[in-house]
Amino acid sequence: MFAGFMRQAETPRRWRRLAGVRIFCDLKPRELRIVDGLLHERGYIAGEVIFDEGEEGQALYIVLEGRVLICRQGDPESGRIAELGAGEFFGDLALLDDAPRAAQARALEACRLAVFFRADFMSLLDTHAAIASRVSLRLARYIGERLRGMNRKVLGAAT
Amino acid sequence: MRPRAAHAGPVVWMGVIAATCLLLVVFRAVLWLVVPFLAALVIYYGLRPLAARLVYAGLSIETAANVVSGTFILALAVALTLLFPRLTANAVQWQESVNRYLDAGTGLLEQTLSSLEARYAVLQKVQAAASVRAQVEGLTDDFAQRHAGEFVMGLVTWLPSLLLAPFLAFFFLRDGRRFKRFLGRAVPNAYFERTLYLLHELDRTAHSYFQGLLKLTVLDAAALALGLAALGMSAPVTLGLLTAVLAWVPYVGSILGCAVVVLVAAADFPNDPAIAYGTVALFILVRMLDDFFFMPMTIGRSLRIHPMLSVVMIFVGGALAGVAGLMLVLPVLGVAMVVGETLGRVVTDPRLRARHAHARRLRSRQAALDLAG
Repeated sequence: MFAGFMRQAETPRRWRRLAGVRIFCDLKPRELRIVDGLLHERGYIAGEVIFDEGEEGQALYIVLEGRVLICRQGDPESGRIAELGAGEFFGDLALLDDAPRAAQARALEACRLAVFFRADFMSLLDTHAAIASRVSLRLARYIGERLRGMNRKVLGAAT
Repeated sequence: MRPRAAHAGPVVWMGVIAATCLLLVVFRAVLWLVVPFLAALVIYYGLRPLAARLVYAGLSIETAANVVSGTFILALAVALTLLFPRLTANAVQWQESVNRYLDAGTGLLEQTLSSLEARYAVLQKVQAAASVRAQVEGLTDDFAQRHAGEFVMGLVTWLPSLLLAPFLAFFFLRDGRRFKRFLGRAVPNAYFERTLYLLHELDRTAHSYFQGLLKLTVLDAAALALGLAALGMSAPVTLGLLTAVLAWVPYVGSILGCAVVVLVAAADFPNDPAIAYGTVALFILVRMLDDFFFMPMTIGRSLRIHPMLSVVMIFVGGALAGVAGLMLVLPVLGVAMVVGETLGRVVTDPRLRARHAHARRLRSRQAALDLAG
């Protein structure tokens, strides 16, 4: 009983799911296990707010089950930005600094999220630099893609 | 965009100081548990960089904790096994040395008082030297023999709980991260990120404090060793290090360290009291440097506590919980400050409270869904 009191569900199923997440797709199974050891798992109910726009961001969220809505603050209907399903992640800029969240995140249905806290990512940079650099590179590519997409949108709107 | 959290106000600070005082009183009552816990924290923060290096080299956290703690416990066991027979074999010699140093100290005091009597008629009239000599002799006669029993009994009482420290440190190293996640699971979603941040800040504060303590010890030891070497004392580095470690207990430890060095100076230079007076002057100088520069620069800065508050709280700690209070006041204040500031931000954030209330409503509605029919 005592031995299990601090254990968290660390199942091969979750590792498989993490292997499909874009920022972790370059990691080997052993490395995934190390990252998995840093993640916190949280359950959210449909309609629950995960974080607010403008809130100081401390963590990146990975959708393990269910769907999450990213929207303008308090405007889930007309202010929809994106809908994310299992294997996708959000709040990624919080891994880099404590800048305010750019949008609100809400659970569209009951969902399970894995939370990657910034301080744990920073400690990963110290202890497992190879893993952290692969995650950082994937994150940088993802942010670059988003930036290019936004540029295209802005240019498209201008012409 | 929502405004970012403001710094803690006076109400939070009063709460932090009150909580610190209350904790010090409680800790004084459970000192048998606090001391090994504190020793375990010192060992943990000392061993953590080594464990991190092993993790970096490819070991798992559990294996790294096993290797580092096992090596430390083994080294401690070997050191105690080697030291214990030497200590018991030299017990008589130790007693003689203690008596020799005390006699030299008494001689120095007599010499000082006699020279003062020769200068000031008032002291001669009240026979200051004779009365102080009688009192000191009463205190120091067979000092080592009289207090050896108490010392041994104290050691027997404290040794089992102190031996707990390496084992506690091992569990901190192995299960620290799991414990953090375990605590995190107990927190509602709305407060989760702030709680993670709080735990991280607590760890950072404790880490900075113990790092600051080690830096302070090095600074104190270096300043004292340099001064003692300039005075021509033997073994200045050993004496400097010993007195710097004693200075972990603010004020009382420094006075004890000063007394030890003055006794050594009096025994080594019986015909030159100027050396002993020089060590007293050196200690006063280092004490002032320590209180007003070194401590606020190292421990005070690491805890982000204002130097004035550090000094005031050291006095408060001493008044509330004696020597234990002096030692514990700054780390306890640092932890209370982080907890107080974070709780202050969470409690005074209406949006977080509203989100938590909303989540509870959603959960209770879902739980009651199939009850309506």
